[in-house]
Amino acid sequence: MPVQQRLRRQAAQNVDDDDMGQPHPQSPGEVDSDGDEQMAEVGPRDETTQLIKNLVRYALSCEYSRAPIRRDGIKEKVLGSNGREFKRVFAGAQKQLRATFGMEMVELPTKDRNLMTAEQKRKAAKSQTQKEPTSNTYVLVSVLPEAYTTPAIITPSKVQSAEGEAAYVALYTMIIAIITLSGGELSEPRLRRHLTRLNVSENMPSLNPNDETSPSEKTEMVLQRMVRQGYLVKLTDSRSGGDEDQTTWHVGPRGKVEVDKEVIAAFVRTIYGGSDDELENRLQVSLKIRDRKPGVPDMVEEVAEEEAAPNGDPGPSNRRRGRRRQTEAYDEESD
Amino acid sequence: MGDEWEPPLPAGYSDVNRAFLQAFMARGTLTFREGQRLLAAIQSASEGGSHIDPASITMDEFQNFIRTARDAVEPLDFDIRNTRDQIRGGERVWAFINAHSDPATQLSTTHTPEEVAYVKRLLDAMFEQYNTPRMEVMAVDEGQALRVSRPAARRESNMNGNDNDDEEHQEDGAAAAATGRGLKHSEVLSLLSSLVAEGWLDKSLNGFYSLTPRSLMELWSWLVATYNESDADADDDWQRIKFCEACKEIVTYGQRCNEPNCTIRLHDICEDGFWRTRPERKCPKCSTPWEGNHYVGERAVTSRSGFQRGRGRRARRTEAAEAEENGADEE
Ligand SMILES: [Zn+2]
Ligand SMILES: [Zn+2]
Repeated sequence: MPVQQRLRRQAAQNVDDDDMGQPHPQSPGEVDSDGDEQMAEVGPRDETTQLIKNLVRYALSCEYSRAPIRRDGIKEKVLGSNGREFKRVFAGAQKQLRATFGMEMVELPTKDRNLMTAEQKRKAAKSQTQKEPTSNTYVLVSVLPEAYTTPAIITPSKVQSAEGEAAYVALYTMIIAIITLSGGELSEPRLRRHLTRLNVSENMPSLNPNDETSPSEKTEMVLQRMVRQGYLVKLTDSRSGGDEDQTTWHVGPRGKVEVDKEVIAAFVRTIYGGSDDELENRLQVSLKIRDRKPGVPDMVEEVAEEEAAPNGDPGPSNRRRGRRRQTEAYDEESD
Repeated sequence: MGDEWEPPLPAGYSDVNRAFLQAFMARGTLTFREGQRLLAAIQSASEGGSHIDPASITMDEFQNFIRTARDAVEPLDFDIRNTRDQIRGGERVWAFINAHSDPATQLSTTHTPEEVAYVKRLLDAMFEQYNTPRMEVMAVDEGQALRVSRPAARRESNMNGNDNDDEEHQEDGAAAAATGRGLKHSEVLSLLSSLVAEGWLDKSLNGFYSLTPRSLMELWSWLVATYNESDADADDDWQRIKFCEACKEIVTYGQRCNEPNCTIRLHDICEDGFWRTRPERKCPKCSTPWEGNHYVGERAVTSRSGFQRGRGRRARRTEAAEAEENGADEE
């Protein structure tokens, strides 16, 4: 991961050093089916720039409401009749997002095969496609060096309220950590037992705890939102015989990107109020991660600085700390 | 694939600026003091964790960061504007905003269409119904906010009327149906509280909801285009949205000339500076002595002798609740 960060940093620096704002002429290799459009000297360049701008704005607004950025949505809301421009516009938007905001779109993992129900597996086997499946769904993550992802800098956004956001981040981080440390799967009764222990079996803080009329929200509703936003996956396999305990909880695609193993490890360290050799050993075994990197600031201190983060919340920075996993995927994709 | 194109960036733009921008966008607004804390944390991160005292960040440094961020996002139709808080001692607030904004695009990603439609009715209440030449409240209390829970037919058919009676013109049912069923009272209360939490609405100690400095900056041109008559004489005609004689910003909380027909308005926070430059405390337009006891904003209501906090509000809310129940029975 540090290597990737360095690479990105260099890439960002190159952008800095480059001459500003002068659109370069198009490379000859770029000319394809829409070569005719490129005959005009100014038009297509401006049009592409406009499309890139619209995609950047679309991506930012999706992220603001934590809706996934879908390829279909991009085609419908951004490209319109310019569907063929997808690759070029997407690449331009990535550049702009990295250069201006230090963010990029990361493709979410496709559904795990072992997350499919028996029936889904049969269907998938029948329609064995030649292409590797892609999710065509992206989330926006920060690509800034880790040093900048402290709560003092990246606070929760005010989507509903900073407090509600912080509590929400803490809850899904906690649940994802529990699922991951349980081997990637948690039965319904076990999830419920954990929720009871956390005293959130019936209600959780709402996205706006200052709301006198609804400071809390039904746990079911919050879990549903976590599923809808891709943090969790709830699987009910009706075909596997028996009728009990067939519901299992898994980490969803967004959860995998935003709450990665490093985030989970940091979260566990926070819960334990620090770290020692034994804890690190256990983390290495359960998460298959390397040693705690030297120079990683003590999570507990960071949390203390951030008043908004309640009871040991590792801080919302984690939401943004998802790492580039499969951004390369779109490069291979043919349109 | 488009590798040659590089997005335009301000000179010297680096990760420090990107971190500032991310933090600014997540917060929506920054005051100078918040900016000092943020920049100290960013500087500390860029220098390997050494402690930086927020007080050591100067206004110049902060403004440089703002200027660079603004240059970086301007090509994307975002903007950073600043204004002084009309109510809270005039503290300057910087906001990250959409350059061409209306309430629908602002709220559509996080709110349902019904909620967005409600917000439009709420704005109409603030800037039309409770903003008349006689009473420029430009704010609503909870009961008034509840009264517009559901679309009223007259709002669609009689946009320009000065008709303040809510319960009239119910016969135009077709238009009402087209605008949706509206929100339940509990949904309105919950929405109001989340709009306050998100930084779009202010709720005063007296229970009045008004637009925050951020909303005013974001919706500035939309408000003027929506609520002012474009063909009116800028100097003489009364307009719904009016500007401070001193700073030229929108006045939703301030003072008005004692002459009822005069259109001169002044922020409380601007008056000291304004009168210091003038020989007399008289309206610059009509020369009526300026007593500073005629108000724009909730004080247009609360300064009146009949205003009784609490009781009055609760009574109005009950009345509105009953009105809604009656309305529901009729359907
Ligand atoms: Zn003023
Ligand atoms: Zn006057």
